[in-house]
Amino acid sequence: MTDTPDLEALRSEVRAFLQAEAPTGWRDASRTQDDFVATQRGWFAKLVKAGYAIPHWPAQFNGGGRGLAEQKVIYEELAKADCPRLLLSFVSTYHAFATLHECASTEQQAEYLPRILEGETWCQGFSEPGAGSDLAAIKTRATREMRDGREVYVVNGQKVWSTMAQFAQKCLLLVRTSSDGVKQAGITYLLMDMDAPGVSVRPIHQIQGDEEFAEIFLDNVEIPVSRRVGEEGKGWAVAQATLASERGLTLMELSYRMRGALARAATLIREHGHEEDRGVLRDFGELVTQVDAVCAIADQFLDNRIKGIERMGDASIVKNSYSRALRAYAKLGLRVGGMAEQYIAPITFGDLNTGNWMADFMNSYAWTIAGGSEEVQRNIISERMLDMPREPKGWVI
Amino acid sequence: MIELNELTDAAQKAFPAGALSPSRDESWGLVAEMGWLMVRLPENDGGLGLNREASTAIHFEMGRVLATTPLIPAQLGLHAVLASEMLADRADWLERISGGDYVPLHLLPTKLETAANGTISGTVGGVFDADMAAAIVVRLPSGYALIPSDAPGVSIVERPIWDPSRRLFDLVLDGYAPDPALMLCDLAGAGPLHDALAPEAHLALAADCLGAANAALDLTIEYLGMRRQFDRPIAMFQALKHRAADMKTRIAAAEALLWGRVRDEDATLTQCGAAKTLAAKAFAFVTEEAIQLHGGIGLTEEHPIHRFMKRAMLNLQLCGSSDLWNERTGREALAKLA
Repeated sequence: MTDTPDLEALRSEVRAFLQAEAPTGWRDASRTQDDFVATQRGWFAKLVKAGYAIPHWPAQFNGGGRGLAEQKVIYEELAKADCPRLLLSFVSTYHAFATLHECASTEQQAEYLPRILEGETWCQGFSEPGAGSDLAAIKTRATREMRDGREVYVVNGQKVWSTMAQFAQKCLLLVRTSSDGVKQAGITYLLMDMDAPGVSVRPIHQIQGDEEFAEIFLDNVEIPVSRRVGEEGKGWAVAQATLASERGLTLMELSYRMRGALARAATLIREHGHEEDRGVLRDFGELVTQVDAVCAIADQFLDNRIKGIERMGDASIVKNSYSRALRAYAKLGLRVGGMAEQYIAPITFGDLNTGNWMADFMNSYAWTIAGGSEEVQRNIISERMLDMPREPKGWVI
Repeated sequence: MIELNELTDAAQKAFPAGALSPSRDESWGLVAEMGWLMVRLPENDGGLGLNREASTAIHFEMGRVLATTPLIPAQLGLHAVLASEMLADRADWLERISGGDYVPLHLLPTKLETAANGTISGTVGGVFDADMAAAIVVRLPSGYALIPSDAPGVSIVERPIWDPSRRLFDLVLDGYAPDPALMLCDLAGAGPLHDALAPEAHLALAADCLGAANAALDLTIEYLGMRRQFDRPIAMFQALKHRAADMKTRIAAAEALLWGRVRDEDATLTQCGAAKTLAAKAFAFVTEEAIQLHGGIGLTEEHPIHRFMKRAMLNLQLCGSSDLWNERTGREALAKLA
C-alpha cells in the first residue's frame, strides 16, 4: 500500500530518529551472550524513550497507541536501518502484554505492565519435553494448597524451549490443574517470578554455539492464587491470546532484513570469484526472487490484516515461505563459501543473516521448528484453508 | 478494487470453472463482446482505459479455465500498434483490433535474413492461432512491422504442440517484401518497443500460470477428497495433505510477487521476468505434483489434469526460460549489491 500523508509523516519522523540514533557496529558488540544482552537493553531503553518500542500498546499503558499500519511503517524503517531486533524484550512487549491486556485483572495490569517499560523481561513457560506441537499435552502439575496462611499453587514439572529464560524476571506459565476431561480443559495460566524458590534455569547449548533457549525446572514452586490469569482450568483460552499476540510484523521485518542481507551473499560471490559462474548466478537470481516474493507475501499479509480480510491459514503460508527462503539463503552461502565456511568463525547473537553461513544454516532450523513447526503449518494450511479432512483422532496400538 | 472484482466476476460467469478449454472461436467472440480486446486501450482511442491490474485479473481467469482463445498475444499486438508512431493507418488498425480482428505478437524468436533486394526470408516463431490472424506483429531485421497473413511470400505452418489448449504456428516468409506503410517502428525503435512489451508479456503469462495453478490445485484437492482407499478419503493422509499445502504455499508466494510487480509502475523488465519465472515454476511444480497425486487416473487422457501440466510446460518456455531469467536476475542483483 502507498502511504497516506499521516504515515508518510511518521516514516520521516522514524527515519530522522534512526539517522541520529541507529546503533552501528552492534554485530561486533554481540559476539557473546552477555554483550548481546547489554546491547539489547540499551537499544530497548532508547526506543522506549523515543516511543517506538511499544507502538502497539494503547496510550493508557504509556504505549504508542498506534494502529497496525503505523506499526508496519516503524518496523519497516527499523529493518531498513539494520537496527538490532528487539529480541530480549519480545516476549514481554508482545506475549506478556497481550495476555495481561486481554485477560488479566486491572490489578495485575497495574503491577506488571509498567515494569516491562523499565526493562523487566518475561519468558514463556509453555512447551515441555512431552508437549511440543501438541501443546495441550502439558504435564507440569499445579495443586492448590494453603501454605503459611495463603492460598497458593504448588507447581512441579519441567518447561523447555523458553526463549532467554536465563535473563527473565517473570514467566508466563501453563500448568495442569486437572486431568479430567479433554486435555485442554485442565490447563491453568499463572504468572511466575523467576526468582521464586524451586525455580532453576538451565540454558540449552545449541548446535551453532548460541544459548537462545533454556529449560526451566520447577520443584515445589509456590505461586499465589492471585497470580492466576483467568479462571482455573480456563488457561487454554488465555494461552491463545498469548500466541495470537504477534501480528505478522515479525515476519515482515525479518523478510525485509533478509532482503537487505542479500548483499552479504553478493559479496561472498565476488570474494570467491563466481561473478561469471552461470550456475551460481542462476541460483543467486532464484534466491533474490524467492526473497522478493517472501517480502511481497509478508507485506500483503499485513495489509490484509490492516484491512481486516485475513484468511485462516495465511499466517502459516507466510511463515513457511519465509523459513524456506531463510534455509535457501544459508545454503547458497555454504555452497559458494566452500571449505572456508567449515572453519569455525565467531557467531553473531540476535541475527539470522550474519554471513557466518554454517551458523546461519543451523539457525534457520529455528524457523522451521519453533513457533509451530513447518509440518504443523502444513496441517493448518491443508485443513483450515484447503478444507481437507482431519485425521481420525483415536490411535490404538 | 471494485472494478477488479467486477471484472473477475464477469470473467467467471462467462468462463465457468467447470468448462475447461471452451471453443476458441466462440470464446473469441465472447471476449470481443466483453471488451477485453481493448481493456488497456485508452478511452480516447475508444478503449476501456483500464490498468495493468485489470488485464492481469483477466489473464488469471483465462488461465483458470485453460482458455483456448489467444488473449495474451492479442493484447501484446494491440500494445505494439498503440505504441507505434510510424504506422500509417494506426487509427484504422486500432478500430479493427477493437472490433475483433486478431493481430498477435509472436512470442518466440525469429530467424530471418534480408536479401539484397530488401525481401525477407525465414521463420518467425511462436505465433499463436495464426490461422485466425488478420496480421501479425513481427520483429523484422529493420524494426517491428505488421505482416498480413495473406500477403505474398507469407505462409503459416502449424507446429503441433503437446499443450492441447493452444495452437502454435510458425510464420514462414519466403521473399516477403515488407510494406513501408505497415512498419511500426524502425531499428532504433525496436529495442525500446521490445522493452515496453516484454514486461506486459511476462506479467500476463505469470497471471495465466497462477490462475491455472489454482485450478489444478482445486481439482487435485477435490480428487483427494473423493478417492477412497483404506476405508477413508486419501485427503486424510498427512503425507498427501502436506504436499497440497506446499502447492498452495508456492502459488501464494508467486501471486504476491506478481501483484506487487503489477502495481509497481517502476518494476523493471528483469523483475517482471523473475515474477513470470517464479509463477511458471510454481505452476510446473503444482501440476507435476497434481498428476502424481491423481494416481493412475492422472495418466489417462479422459481426466483433464494432464492438460494443466502441458500448459505449464509450454508456459515455462515462453518469453525466455527460467535459466535465462534467473541468471539475469542474479547478474543484476550482483552488480547492484556487491
